[in-house]
Order: sequence, then C-alpha cells, then structure tokens
Amino acid sequence: MEIKKLTRLSMLLALSVILGLLENMIPFFSGIIPGLKLGLANIVVLFVLYTFSSKDAFFLSILRVILMGLISTGLFSIRFFLSLGGAFLSFVVMALSKKYTKLSVIGTSVLGSIAHSVGQILVAILLIKQGLMIYYLPWLLFFSIPTGIVVGYMSKYFIDYFEKRLKINF
Amino acid sequence: MKIKKIMGMIIVLLLFLGAGYFLLRRPYQEYSLNLFYMDTYIQIKFDTKKSRDDVKKIKEEVTKIYQDYHELANRYTEYGQNVYYLIHNTSEEEVITVDPKLYELLSYGEMAYQESNGLLDINMGCVIDKWKYYRERKEGIPTDEELESCNSVNRLVLLGENQVLNNHPNIDLGAIAKGYATEKVKEYFESVGITSYIINAGGNVVVGTPQHKDYYQVGIEDPNDGSVFKVLKVTNQAVVTSGGYERFYEYEGHKYHHIIDPNTNYPSEYMKSVTIITDDSALADQLSTTLFLMSIEEGKAYIERYPNVEVIWYSNDDEIIMTEGVKKYE
Amino acid sequence: MNKQDGILIFILIILSLFGMAFFYLSEKDGPKKAVVYYEDQVVLEIDLTQKEEKTYQVEGFNGTVTIESKDGKVKVVSENSPLHLCSKQGYISSSYETIVCLPNKIVVAIEANDSLDAVAK
Repeated sequence: MEIKKLTRLSMLLALSVILGLLENMIPFFSGIIPGLKLGLANIVVLFVLYTFSSKDAFFLSILRVILMGLISTGLFSIRFFLSLGGAFLSFVVMALSKKYTKLSVIGTSVLGSIAHSVGQILVAILLIKQGLMIYYLPWLLFFSIPTGIVVGYMSKYFIDYFEKRLKINF
Repeated sequence: MKIKKIMGMIIVLLLFLGAGYFLLRRPYQEYSLNLFYMDTYIQIKFDTKKSRDDVKKIKEEVTKIYQDYHELANRYTEYGQNVYYLIHNTSEEEVITVDPKLYELLSYGEMAYQESNGLLDINMGCVIDKWKYYRERKEGIPTDEELESCNSVNRLVLLGENQVLNNHPNIDLGAIAKGYATEKVKEYFESVGITSYIINAGGNVVVGTPQHKDYYQVGIEDPNDGSVFKVLKVTNQAVVTSGGYERFYEYEGHKYHHIIDPNTNYPSEYMKSVTIITDDSALADQLSTTLFLMSIEEGKAYIERYPNVEVIWYSNDDEIIMTEGVKKYE
Repeated sequence: MNKQDGILIFILIILSLFGMAFFYLSEKDGPKKAVVYYEDQVVLEIDLTQKEEKTYQVEGFNGTVTIESKDGKVKVVSENSPLHLCSKQGYISSSYETIVCLPNKIVVAIEANDSLDAVAK
C-alpha cells in the first residue's frame, strides 16, 4: 500500500474514532430509544467507500469498532458486539447499494443507518436469545431515516469538497 | 503477511471467547414431568437450582410415588397385594397383610367415611362397576335388582397392624387416591426443599409458591361449556373440583355421571360442580366428593367444621355460591 | 438527493409507520402482566392489575436487577451496567413497549394476563 494512502486512511480511521467518541457524549439520542445514534462515524465510512474502495471502507469500519472497544465500550463487551453487528451489516448494505443501485450518497447513508440498527438488534437477539427486541425495530427504522439523511448530506459535502473543489484524487 | 494472518486469527478467537462467555450460565431452571397414572394425565412443573442429577432423582421419586399408589389402589389389575387382590383373591387365609402405604390409604378412606357420615364410601366398588358397565355402553341404566345385589358385598374391615380381613370387600379408592398421592408428592417436594411447583392431576390442582411471580392462576371450569368461569390466585393450596360433567352419558334424555350417592345408588344431582380450595390435597379431594353428594345448604353447614376450607358451588340453576373466604383468592 | 433517494425514503417512512401501527393495534385490552425474561426464560411475572407499589428483584447477568410496579406500570429501578440505559427508561405499560437490559440479559415485556397455570375440573 502506498504510504500516502496508508497515512490518509489512518487519519480517517482516527477521525472516525473521534467522531464516535464525540457522539457518545451526546446523551440525547439514547434517551429516546436505547441504541439510537446519530452515526457521525458513518460519514467517514461513506467517504472512504465513495473515494477509496469498499475493501478499505470495510477494514476502516471494523477497525473503528475494535478501537472504540479498546478506548470506550470495552473490548468484547455487549456494546462492542452490538457495534460490530451494526457496523458489519451497515457496511454490507452500503457497499451493495453503491454498486447495484442508483441511489446517491444520501440514499446509501439512509440504508446504512437502518442496517446499523437492524444489525444491532440481530446481535442483541442472538446474544440474549430473546426476540422481544423486535419491538424497537419500527422506532429505530423511523429515527434512522432523519439521521441517515443528515449523515448522508454531510458525507456528500465532504466527498464533493475533496473530489471536485480540491481536485484531490485518492 | 504471516503476522497479519496470526493477528486475524487471534481476533477471531477472542471474538468467539467473548461471545461464548456471554452466552454462558443460566441461573434459573424450570422442569416438567408428565405422567399417566390412575387413569389420569398428571402434569408437574417445578423450579429449582439443584443439579441435573438431583433433578433426575427427584423426578424418579415423584414418578414412583404416583406409580405406587396407582398400583396399590388399582382395582382392575393385580400388583401384589393391592386392591384388586383384596377383591378377587382366592386365598384361604383369614387376614391379608397389605403394604403399609395401602393400609394407610384405606384407613384414610375409613376416616373419610366416618367424617362424611357415610356419604364418601370406599366400599362402593360394586355399584360403581354396575354404572360403569352402562356408561361405557352409553345406553341403559342398572336395574334395581342389579344394584341391590351389591348389598350383599362385604365391607372393608381394618384390623390394625396393616392387616385387613379377607372378606372380599369391593373397594374403590377413585374419590381419594389421586388427592392422597398428590399430597404425598407435595410432602416430598417440600422435604427436598422445592417450594415452587404446580401439579395438575387431571384437574386436581396443587400449587406451591411460585418462584417468579406472586401466585399461580388457577381457573375453574364451567360445567356447561368447558370455559373458565372463575380465576383464583393461589399459593400453597389445592384446588379440586368434583362435577358430573366430565364423565357421563345420556340415556332417554337424562344425564348419568360417575359420582354415585350411596344413599340412592344413583348419580347425585344436587349441583353441577363443587370446588374446594384448601392447603391439603387429600382433604380437598375428599371434601369435593363429599360436598358433591349433599345439597348446597347441607354443604354450607357441613363445611363449617373445617377451618381454612373454601368452597365454590355451581348450582343446577347456574348460580355460583361461594364461601366468604374465596374473596382472598380473587 | 436524487429521485431514487426520495422514493426510498418515502417507502421506508411508510414501512416504519406500518410497523408502529401494527404494534399499537396489536395491543389488547384487558388485564396485563409484566413478564421479565432472562434470555428466553421467564423469571418474573408481575400482575399489573394491582395498584400498590411493589418491588421485585431478579438475578441478571451482572447482578441483581430491581424492578418496581405501580398503578399498572413497571420500571427497572436499578441494575448494574455501564450505561444504565434500562433504568433510565422509566415506566412502561403497553404491550408494544419493552425494557431491554442487554448487559444483564433481562427483558421486561408487557403481555396479556390471560394465561392460566392450570384449570381445575
């Protein structure tokens, strides 16, 4: 891997972790529904997905969860597994969306946001063998839409900014 | 490259270990046991934190209690010197020594006979068989001659020290054996420290203190349509119903059920059903039959000598009459 | 945002509203009980027809979880977890609401109180 690309991806990874940590400091969202998040870190994942490659986005996404585990949630804690499930499903859905649909970054972001919720619920159901959490699904789905749109617009702004305005080719 | 692979493997391994740890350990356990003895499906559920081996032993012991009483009280099959043997043996001996458990049960039957002033009689086997014959054919009723022929059957004579006079009494323990055996199971549960249990012996319900809620909810079946007309909230109680609506046949527009009044040798028709709530399952079984064999008014007076026994009558006019104390279970 | 995005978002909003409506409408009238699960096992049932305040304790994965019922509502009072999400959630009383204490593997759900343990007959 090129040193330049490696450096950039590393910085993006660090940025995504910082965004995640920042987000944990906003208690507002989890007050509505447990597990609900704005998903700021997804900006970085989307950015990498659209400007680098899906492989890079995948590793960034998973490494971010592991780093977050080390720093904040605790490695192999429940929240770690939830994040992992969310991040994984979210990445898969976004990669597929980018490759096979005509959706823009915003649509892809909304799908990723929803997939993140669904992934978390699936892991939760798996971990405690209890399907009742499905009741959260419509709510998470509903609130994932605005958060997905917000994150999508921010991602789009950054992608456009770097690609078009600065003419930086990653 | 090699390091990458090893790192990857370690991460995957740790993931599995982490998830595995979380999936471990269950602090609560519920067990169930289904049996068929005494012509009845018996469902037992209990909670305990005991080990698998202990639970296995407990289940075996409970099964054995029901099996023992099933065999001892059986009047259609011979199992050693059981009730069948008492009725049908051809031995020349004057007295028969029976299993102490059977002797105790027969003594209990005698006591119930005394207490009920002759209404609950374990010597009714002959009459019960006559009715059973017609019930199974679903046609006809026993003739007076047939029923009178039962008068010549000897009554049970208890001689003490587990000895019974060999005079071929026609014993039927159907009214008490189930409740009696269930009471023994309950005592056994309590002796091994199991307090959270529910036993449903074909509608004779006995409960302990549930581990994970305030009380058990026991419904009482409506004799008319099989729905539930009342729900009781009970702990450490037996809820036993007697009624003519479960086993009966219709002949010439009249319903004939299986609980026979010894005074008339006909099925009793004072009420549709009667339910007893008390902490002793044997007593509940005994009293439900006794009260079914007397009028509701007589029953109200009769029951006063028993403290802590609550009664719900379902009259022939579909009226529900309850003793004062039933309220505390509502 | 292009046209496809718009269609997608529209469909998703409809879907989530349908989901919510479904859960709301599946709510039945009548007596209710709170059922507390440890994984898929019922470890506590609280009759919600009783008005007086009552406290219960169940064993969660990380220790004791204290649950309180009052006026037909139920909440988790205290539990041992990093974020205390489930004790912050407050009271629930409808069958489309659940309290999930993931770190303790405890789920509190509201169900119709119509099941009988046995029927005497």
